[in-house]
Amino acid sequence: MHPLREFRHTLLTKSAAIEASFGSSVWQHPESGAARAGFASAPFFARHAKEFLPSACGLGSFEVRFIGLTSSSMKKVFPVLLALCSLGRAQQPPASESSPPPPAHIDIKQLPPQSKLIDNVVVPVPSEIFGVLDKLGPKPHWTSVQRASMANVKPTGEQSQIALRLGVVIAEGFIAVEAEDTGEVKNIGNTVLTLSRALSVEKQVKERAKAITDSADKKDWQGVRLELDKTLNSVRDAMQALKSDELSQLVSLGGWLRGTEALTAVVSDSYTRDGAELLHQPMLIDYFEKRLAEMKPKIKQNPVVTKVQKGMLEIRPLVGVEDGTMISAKTVKEIGRIAEDLIKTINSKAP
Amino acid sequence: MSRRLLFVKRILFTAILALGLAAQTALATIDDALSFALEAADPYVKEGFTVREDYWGGDLAVKSTKAIVHQLFKGNEYWFWMGTDLKDAKISIHIYDSEGNLAEVEAWAKPHFAAARVVPKKTGSYYLIVEVEKSPEERTTWSLAYGFR
Repeated sequence: MHPLREFRHTLLTKSAAIEASFGSSVWQHPESGAARAGFASAPFFARHAKEFLPSACGLGSFEVRFIGLTSSSMKKVFPVLLALCSLGRAQQPPASESSPPPPAHIDIKQLPPQSKLIDNVVVPVPSEIFGVLDKLGPKPHWTSVQRASMANVKPTGEQSQIALRLGVVIAEGFIAVEAEDTGEVKNIGNTVLTLSRALSVEKQVKERAKAITDSADKKDWQGVRLELDKTLNSVRDAMQALKSDELSQLVSLGGWLRGTEALTAVVSDSYTRDGAELLHQPMLIDYFEKRLAEMKPKIKQNPVVTKVQKGMLEIRPLVGVEDGTMISAKTVKEIGRIAEDLIKTINSKAP
Repeated sequence: MSRRLLFVKRILFTAILALGLAAQTALATIDDALSFALEAADPYVKEGFTVREDYWGGDLAVKSTKAIVHQLFKGNEYWFWMGTDLKDAKISIHIYDSEGNLAEVEAWAKPHFAAARVVPKKTGSYYLIVEVEKSPEERTTWSLAYGFR
């Protein structure tokens, strides 16, 4: 855990008994009938067709997606401020004000582009998807999905290829966790460090790599999952600090590709419609495509990046357009084939 | 000439310092908003929710909204926690599916916090609508974190 958050978490844990109470007013969900508590929300869309106007939604505001905490100087001052805030907060009364429920339906097409944070996409971590597979039926054979060679990949090639490779290796860490493979998780922790060194972000990742190894030793798999997520954020934070946003995106993309390849392997092994539906991620593919298209020519012209960009365009029509679209077993295999090919390219020696 | 240069340098230095301080303040309030969002998440972590490290943040005028498109997976259960550093602000978060239907099964709000829970019926894109309903300030800083199980 980040020191600042850890400090705050400690404070919050201590005051949790006081702070755990929530609002008291209750209303019914229009469709499910489920109760909800608190003062909920005003019927914003009913009165807000106007408020989704650009002036209300985007202009003049700053929109930020933070990946962890970025300001080092702030971190030094914040614990004290947070401590004071927390102490004061513990005595706050519960909400008594209530609002009418939100509308049961809104017209998504009427949302102006300015109201969407389309550039601020949070990419799911592999464990978010793997967890569903575990719930769908018999536990998948994660060991057969693992790629032992991943733990030994070298930092060869240009930085863009190494960034993609780092994402792939971190995703491999999530698979090793599913397989509860302590040795492989530890190997991956070391490989993450090696690749981070080549990208000049070793310092920021060192602590995370150690935490991965420590948690693996204790077989604290949930702890390893959290540390892998934090590693992704530490890498991206550090890269953004180095003005390497594009490399940061490539780390995310590498992770997404390996996660997708693993998902297709599990679903192909034991096909279910619900399992295949997990591949329906058009929004994420569009996001990566857009990011790749916007990259500097120097990065885009790297043969590995070019091939990945082409592969993403091949995957896009296969995952369906409408939510709930059935993805056939044949399509799952086809997506898997493309993803596998891209992973091989990413892990190949520099062209 | 050199005195004029010195004057310009001082003006530039002051402007850069002011900008730096303003940026620091903005970051500070978003971090504080995030700390509230994570505080709201805390009880749910004990119920088995995994809180993501990634999050969204920004600032909004009163009675204005922002839509965030986010990928959700059928089979998971999600909580979205919104926080603000302004105690007297009233904020809300609601979740709609790709067809514009209210998708959340539960939501609550109280000073500093708002949250919504969704159990997706389909895997796909969902719209997270965050709103500042009222606030003593012209613009209200917010942050949104999420967790799944």
